[in-house]
Amino acid sequence: MVTRKIKTVYDVVCPFCGTLCDDLEVDIDLTKNEVIEVRNACQIGTAKFYSSNPSEHRFEKPLIRENGEHKEVSWEEAIDKAAEILANTTRPLLYGFSSTECEAQGKGVELAEILGGVLDNTASVCHGPTLLAEQDVGVPTSTLGEYKNRADLVIFWGSNPVHAHPRHLGRYSEFIRGYFRKDGRNDRFVAVIDPRTTHTAQIADLHIQVNPNEDYELFNAIRALLREVELDQEEVSGIPVSQIKELVEIIKNCNFGVIFFGMGLTQTLAHHRNIDAAISLTRELNDHTKFLITAMRGHYNVSGANTVFTWNTGYAYSIDFSRGYPRYNPGEYSAVPLLMRDEIDASLIVASDPASNFPAESVKNLFKHPLIVIEPHETPTSAFADVVLPPAIAGIECEGTAYRMDHVPLRLRKVKDAPDELLTDFEILERLIEKVKEKKGEE
Amino acid sequence: MAEITLKLKKQPEFPLEADVISPDTFADKSLNEIKALELFFGNQKVKLGDYFEVKGKTGKVDQLKIVIDGDLSKVKRIGEKMTAGEIVINGNVGMHVGNQMKGGKITVNGNADDWAGAMLKGGELEITGDAGHYVGSAYRGFWKGMKDGVIKVKGKIGNEAMLWSRSSKGANKWPMLYCGGAGSFLGVHNHGGTIVVEGDVDRCTGADQAWGTIVINGKVSRKLPSYRKVGEVSEVELPNGEKIKGKFIEYSGDHSVKKETNGRLYIAA
Repeated sequence: MVTRKIKTVYDVVCPFCGTLCDDLEVDIDLTKNEVIEVRNACQIGTAKFYSSNPSEHRFEKPLIRENGEHKEVSWEEAIDKAAEILANTTRPLLYGFSSTECEAQGKGVELAEILGGVLDNTASVCHGPTLLAEQDVGVPTSTLGEYKNRADLVIFWGSNPVHAHPRHLGRYSEFIRGYFRKDGRNDRFVAVIDPRTTHTAQIADLHIQVNPNEDYELFNAIRALLREVELDQEEVSGIPVSQIKELVEIIKNCNFGVIFFGMGLTQTLAHHRNIDAAISLTRELNDHTKFLITAMRGHYNVSGANTVFTWNTGYAYSIDFSRGYPRYNPGEYSAVPLLMRDEIDASLIVASDPASNFPAESVKNLFKHPLIVIEPHETPTSAFADVVLPPAIAGIECEGTAYRMDHVPLRLRKVKDAPDELLTDFEILERLIEKVKEKKGEE
Repeated sequence: MAEITLKLKKQPEFPLEADVISPDTFADKSLNEIKALELFFGNQKVKLGDYFEVKGKTGKVDQLKIVIDGDLSKVKRIGEKMTAGEIVINGNVGMHVGNQMKGGKITVNGNADDWAGAMLKGGELEITGDAGHYVGSAYRGFWKGMKDGVIKVKGKIGNEAMLWSRSSKGANKWPMLYCGGAGSFLGVHNHGGTIVVEGDVDRCTGADQAWGTIVINGKVSRKLPSYRKVGEVSEVELPNGEKIKGKFIEYSGDHSVKKETNGRLYIAA
């Protein structure tokens, strides 16, 4: 007779998106050490937990590329090879870090400093423009609980939470009942500003279909109308001025409003200037009512990466240690421009898959030079790596800290054991640092 | 006038940070001392003499001219924080040329990369070719960018030139930019800077301008809605007294920052 032992872990934090849901229940088959059921999570979060089960895509041993083929090796050999590559570089790139926990990110900063390399996280192709704008004009923001309890006007601008942050609507922004919003969805007015009729737009009270790449002009017109300036033109960004005036009235007359913005603003033309305008608008709206703004961060711990990098170096991303002290300049030290100009001689990618997201030209240059990945799964990046160091998955197979999109730190849980011998991201980076120091002759 | 000639011997594989190439550092040094100056190459330090042939004679800072030949598109930070003297670059030049310069003159006979003349505090930067993004801009997070001095670019420049530039009426400081054409967000967050463009510019010119003057002798691909037409003029007078003749339509703005503003945008009629 087969005896099946099942353990249920409660209040698990989901390590997938920036919403960082903290109410998951996960059933583990203890005999096989596998996830068999995930409750409360969205489809994406559930899939992430199942991805920790053994499969052909999961690495279970460190690999080294020899004659074009990956070969399984011992941890000592793999770490030694990786350290050998890194210790002899002139301009190494350390990139990723957003899908692992804060302690490992801290070790990443330490390694970058020892190597005198360039350190970047995925914010540089995601919400980096948000950080630039925040440095220019500040940011009036709050934690998500405030929005849940108080907001009666919710604007999703260039973001589509139904697909990207599926439980955001149910936990914080749209359907949830709050202390002052007893009737949930009925107590909130939801507006979506997006060129596409997204699924979020379909369940909103108002959808403003702005022309693609013309959000800046719309912000600009709203800000001018808010100052009671008459505009010379009849239409802005494909929206009649009369409709913009209606929107301004709605915004001015709410009790507590919030703008949730996403990649539709940060990664369309005007980039950080869109966010600059969005933040300025939010600030100016506080002359009329209470208004706040929050970025819909993607990876579950990209906020953490920014926070950890900032408390270690003073800067959130795109950091260059080549002169021994940290310097910051997105566009000069960020991963994509560096790769486009082919200015690196080796790279270490941690918990990220640039080969699927970066421009093709930059990926070609990434593969030209020695590539080390710390990555649990087979991805387009790890397939071309010279050294693969597979870790235990943070938030599933090891503990750690992660920052939610509103900068609230939550403790990740360990729900199951990692497959044999796998080290955590933190342990891998720690051993790599030791080995690199040894090779560089430092103590 | 004392003159020193540098010639690039070989193309560096990675960018070379050459903030020591400036009359302030070269002044009163022997050729051997100049050759021994340190440049940053990735995480390594190299000697100036490894990459450049050095000839000529040095002198006092304000009478020193440095001439550099070769394709310097991978050499960054030439003339950083220089206060006097002259640099002539015959060829393209990398990022941050003449950044935070206080005095003297830099001439680039070629194209310049991003951040040319960033946060200029005085002096003159002339570029005969095109320039990259952020010409004369504030660095990330700074609220006071170019404070004084003149940048002249014959060709086109990239996006977000003269970001956060600041003039000072009391100290009589008027940052100026002349260029042949410009990308988007020209003069964004302008606080008193003056910009004159010979050709066309892209969208969002003068976004968030608190005050200042922007003159465009060509077309604007999309004028911001918050700029309002004031009237037509046949002559524009710049804060430094210079007069530009021609038929212009005068707009006031940016009204998204202030309801009443003396910020002006002139576009050729």
